[in-house]
Amino acid sequence: MPDIGGSDLFVLEFGDILHYYTPYTTTLFLFALIFTALAILSRPEGQIDIAFGGDAYYAKETTVSEMRFRRFMAIACGLATMGAMGSGDLFNFTLFASLVGITNVGIVAAVKSHHVLNAAYEYGIVAMVATLPLFGGAALILATTGTLSIPALAAGGFAVPLVAKAFLTLGVIGEGMAPFYAAKAEMFRAPGAPYVIMCSLSSLLIFLRVVEIAITI
Amino acid sequence: MIEYLVFAAVFGLLLLGLHRKVIARVQMRPGPPVWQEILHALKFSFKSTWVPKTASATLYVGVVLVGIGIWSAALFVVLAGESILILFAIYMLHKVVEHGFGLSSGSPYGKFGGVRSVISAASEIPLFVTIAAIYLFTESLLLSDITAYQAVHGPFLLIAPPVAIAMYLVILSKLPYGPFSIVESKELVSGYKTEHFGVWRAGISVIDGLKTFVLLFAFVALFIGAVPFWAALVLMTIVLVSLSFVCAVSPMLSPFDSVTIQGLITGVMLAYAGYLWWVMP
Repeated sequence: MPDIGGSDLFVLEFGDILHYYTPYTTTLFLFALIFTALAILSRPEGQIDIAFGGDAYYAKETTVSEMRFRRFMAIACGLATMGAMGSGDLFNFTLFASLVGITNVGIVAAVKSHHVLNAAYEYGIVAMVATLPLFGGAALILATTGTLSIPALAAGGFAVPLVAKAFLTLGVIGEGMAPFYAAKAEMFRAPGAPYVIMCSLSSLLIFLRVVEIAITI
Repeated sequence: MIEYLVFAAVFGLLLLGLHRKVIARVQMRPGPPVWQEILHALKFSFKSTWVPKTASATLYVGVVLVGIGIWSAALFVVLAGESILILFAIYMLHKVVEHGFGLSSGSPYGKFGGVRSVISAASEIPLFVTIAAIYLFTESLLLSDITAYQAVHGPFLLIAPPVAIAMYLVILSKLPYGPFSIVESKELVSGYKTEHFGVWRAGISVIDGLKTFVLLFAFVALFIGAVPFWAALVLMTIVLVSLSFVCAVSPMLSPFDSVTIQGLITGVMLAYAGYLWWVMP
């Protein structure tokens, strides 16, 4: 394989499917691991909000059951992200990426606010639509090369279509919530730390991984 | 290797002090002494420290350690000549760290700063295009291979000047007091740093020092090539002074304008990378 992310440090084989870790993917994996641990260990913030038009501010109330579900989704998101970081199989990568999309929706959909729920619904539509280029890209690669193994594709001898790489990247951008959610007002309405951070983190990490895949294959 | 870390953090803080001094002199102000940022870091280290009642305590503290950890890793990546894709990843992950700083405290000022950090992610794409363009020439992303390529073919600053400009803008967007510094804008008090005080703020100073050193050192290695260490420090200082001139004469943009301009730069860089890909054999 080309030394895009450094030499292989560790390869974990499951029959003909494998996970591999280079210094690059190990960095990403460790980052996902650390923030998943923080999501498990941290108590959520007590959100303070400003009342516009004056000097007043108020503390928001959130229920334990809501936070418990969001923590569950944040942990699931972290696990899916970790899976995507080491995957040596394109089909597994697309599955992990779509799982990241689902858990991202879950993290915000649990917030009991009309505005936040609307945002989660809209984001869910984007994530669903994004599965089309995501799996379409993988299908195109399989159809043209006969394999979805990243090391096999990276070894050379295959002409991976540029449009398939573009589809994969587009699909991952759609699955990661951050590009669509970060600038919306709902970000300020939903209590953030540490659960919303998992949305940004997982979006960035799967994007960084697909960049490596697109250059490698 | 601890001596490298300490040197990089202290020299990076010295560069940030010089940055403030040059901006002040261009704007006809006396400005602070160049070692002011080092004094800040020392001062905060001994100030009283606690965790705000509203904060997500583990995250509030943990994110400081994560920030120091990733930039320490970045320093070793550039010193060891490892893959610059890791540097790209760390640069992007710094966004999540800033986001974590902002959101963990529960303060609306910190939160706005953290969110601005995520929406300004457009500034990361020119770095990716820089890496992609360099790969088209070297077919390797190992920093050691890239410097070896420049030893034979000449510096990338002359081979592909638009790529160097893109990286220059990436560093500009990370500097305080620059046109793209919307995450630390004064209407948000100190942005994502607002609620981190005492020893936590000293930790942020160390992160800023390391980040400045790593980005400038990477710029010299990527676009000028392998030079003696003292020469690299001189070149880094020259690059920083030129950046300070840009910061001194340009106002801070609004968040919308900042993202729009960074998006436009990204578009131009993508077109240039596409052109290179088209014409390269």
